[in-house]
Amino acid sequence: MILDNIWLELFSRWLLGLVFIYASYQKILFPSDFAKIIYGYDLFPLALINLMAIVLPFVELCFGLALVIGIFPRSAALILNGILLAFILALSINLIRGHEFDCGCFSSLKTSFASSTGHWIVRDIILLSLGLQVFFYGGFRKACLIRNLKPYTVAAEKRQTLSVDK
Amino acid sequence: MHFKQTTSEVIILLGISVVAAFVVNYFSPVGIALTGQWNDSRGVISTRGKDEAVVPDLEIEDVTVAKQIFDKKQSLFVDARSQESYEDGHIKGAVSLPVNRFASMIKSFQKRYGRSQPIVTYCSGRTCGDSHRLAQLLFEHGFENVSVFIDGFPGWEAEGFPIE
Repeated sequence: MILDNIWLELFSRWLLGLVFIYASYQKILFPSDFAKIIYGYDLFPLALINLMAIVLPFVELCFGLALVIGIFPRSAALILNGILLAFILALSINLIRGHEFDCGCFSSLKTSFASSTGHWIVRDIILLSLGLQVFFYGGFRKACLIRNLKPYTVAAEKRQTLSVDK
Repeated sequence: MHFKQTTSEVIILLGISVVAAFVVNYFSPVGIALTGQWNDSRGVISTRGKDEAVVPDLEIEDVTVAKQIFDKKQSLFVDARSQESYEDGHIKGAVSLPVNRFASMIKSFQKRYGRSQPIVTYCSGRTCGDSHRLAQLLFEHGFENVSVFIDGFPGWEAEGFPIE
């Protein structure tokens, strides 16, 4: 089956990872502008806006990097899928209730989400399908630094068994 | 077993992300405070970031106070929005000084107005920090008497005050 294709997994993982790294870049450079975008969604508690603007770009960066260099790719894909689902949900809610936000100001972040909500939803659904492929892929993953924590667990269990045998 | 392993991996990656986020934010010249000012009834919204120009002391919070200043005809109202927004409509008598074109326009502005000229900047309202940025830039260029009308053009227009 094509979804089990080793190269497709690598392609999906790298593409998703690179998209998230790219997405995090400007948010890290302009956290104030990103915070105003979060405020514009009008969905989150005001007390959490700054914390979200500080942490979310680094979650995107670290988990994106984890996918590209292959560190715990399945777990990284799980969290990025969760983030994508949250984005899709937030965008859909605002699309349905017709909520648009424009601060009317000069912003360094060019993501004028309000004017292209539909496009963002479609883009996120495509990314989510890539993320799901990476998450559910069961075969060997190419080009991974640390595929999972299991080898260490197995090694620890072996050591424990050996010490009991002695 | 699978669940335990995934949880451990997620915790490791999340831990690295959160630590990196707070360390970088602390040292970054554009870092922001842990909580912002997001209540627009208290003034212009702001992350209270290191690069934010919002200074609450400069703010004219009441539209009628702005109108009184306008009626005295001593203050110059300066529009920080884009040229297009200005051309679509602005406070009567206001001059345009878009904050993103400040560097190229400040010379001619300085030639026309003295440093002691009372100035009131405005933009698109309380979700817009450009009027504050413009005020800071004007202070940096020697202007001594600058205030910020925080309800901006939409607030002024809503009251039916003079526009053109």
